[in-house]
Amino acid sequence: MEAFAVALQAVWSDSGFTAFTIGNAIMMLVGIVLLYLAIGKGFEPLLLSPIAFGCILANFPKTGFETDPGVMQVILYGIHHEIFPPLIFLGVGAMTDFGPLIANPKTLLLGAAAQAGVFVALIGAMLLGFNVQEAGAIGIIGGADGPTAIYLTVKLAPHLLGAIAVAAYSYMSLVPLIQPPLMMMFTTKKEREVVMEQLRPVSKFEKLVFPVAVTIVVSLLLPPVTALMGMLMLGNLFRESGCTERLSDTSQNALINIVTIFLATGTGLTMKADSFLTYQTILIICLGLIAFAAGTIAGVLFGKIMYLFTGGKVNPLIGSAGVSAVPMAARVSQVVGQKANPSNFLLMHAMGPNVAGVIGTAVAAGTMLAMLK
Amino acid sequence: MGQPVTTNPWMIALINMTVVFGVLYFLSLIIAFIQFIDPTKKKASKVENNVVTTEPAPVASVQDDMQIIAVIAAAISAYGYSPAQIACIRRKDGQAWAQAARVEAVTVRNQMF
Repeated sequence: MEAFAVALQAVWSDSGFTAFTIGNAIMMLVGIVLLYLAIGKGFEPLLLSPIAFGCILANFPKTGFETDPGVMQVILYGIHHEIFPPLIFLGVGAMTDFGPLIANPKTLLLGAAAQAGVFVALIGAMLLGFNVQEAGAIGIIGGADGPTAIYLTVKLAPHLLGAIAVAAYSYMSLVPLIQPPLMMMFTTKKEREVVMEQLRPVSKFEKLVFPVAVTIVVSLLLPPVTALMGMLMLGNLFRESGCTERLSDTSQNALINIVTIFLATGTGLTMKADSFLTYQTILIICLGLIAFAAGTIAGVLFGKIMYLFTGGKVNPLIGSAGVSAVPMAARVSQVVGQKANPSNFLLMHAMGPNVAGVIGTAVAAGTMLAMLK
Repeated sequence: MGQPVTTNPWMIALINMTVVFGVLYFLSLIIAFIQFIDPTKKKASKVENNVVTTEPAPVASVQDDMQIIAVIAAAISAYGYSPAQIACIRRKDGQAWAQAARVEAVTVRNQMF
């Protein structure tokens, strides 16, 4: 009987209950709320579901995820050594049609203008007391590009990864709610009604040379982001070459799905109570919203400048798509434009700044790494 | 981790925005250059010219028209209308269907990043 009691006591002392804190309970609740938002409300379910479940898993005490060899340690290794974001970019490149951007290269400038949100948040974060590396990582939320945000955060401020990833992916799913009021506020009805000219057809030669040329230019200028840009453009080359369909198919389907599971679960695993339940997390969530709003406004305002300089040929609404969030932000431009003028089809025009935003965010991340690391 | 070049947020923002604009503007010049040196563009336009000078304009066969009319009539019937109500079938100018297909293609794609 005594042996039975000792055994029971041993099981109890080894159980998670003995080390379970109120913080762990709160984080599990946060995970359950995120699961509800993902599955019940449809907010980025492919990403938020594994993040939320990872968050729940991370808050069980005594699991040894970080110390004992095993699948969770491998996933965390992939997060801490920036393995997954470039692999996601391989799939993103294979999914992305750079044709609208090549057909209208001026839209690259809209992708650049929308990066202003990154630096508005950076300035705000430094004014609120974050150090320069933390502020750089928080600012990149405004790029609305999950893999780049994770890539930069791991290099500059790894302790903020959970908060920054959740803020970035949450706001990306809220793009259809955040952007339209700002777009309406900063444009006139006449500007929103502008019907843009049909894009010129882009030759296969241009689509093939583009990824190679961009990789060479950006990698020479900003070596820290070569892994991201190189993989993005390699995926795009698979897509456009016409003789690597199998590689393109694997990159944009099987591989990206597998890596998404690892990346999102791993991000959730970083959301431990002691690093997430801080005052800083609330500030990061607020700064993320400011970053998104500022990026949208800057893109629309630059669109207005292009509207003026082209004699009314550019609809400023496509400027908001410069905040990446592919293809959601381009869809928002399309919806708002069609509301103003039902015969307006801005989608393909908005895809130009949208994919330019991905390149712009990677360039901003590379510049910050060169300056701040 | 080394020392940051500067900790002045306004300076970081200014330098970064300058670099981002500079790089993306340079990429737009590269795109224009790629279009300029594109050898296939000239070939395509030459082939197009040859086609125009050597061959008559293609005329759709009656067989093809009948098939298209049958498909359209079936589609209208599927919506509960009688094919007898079709007065004529004309090709509409414009890109509405192509645009709608593109919108659909982007809309059904899942957000992945």
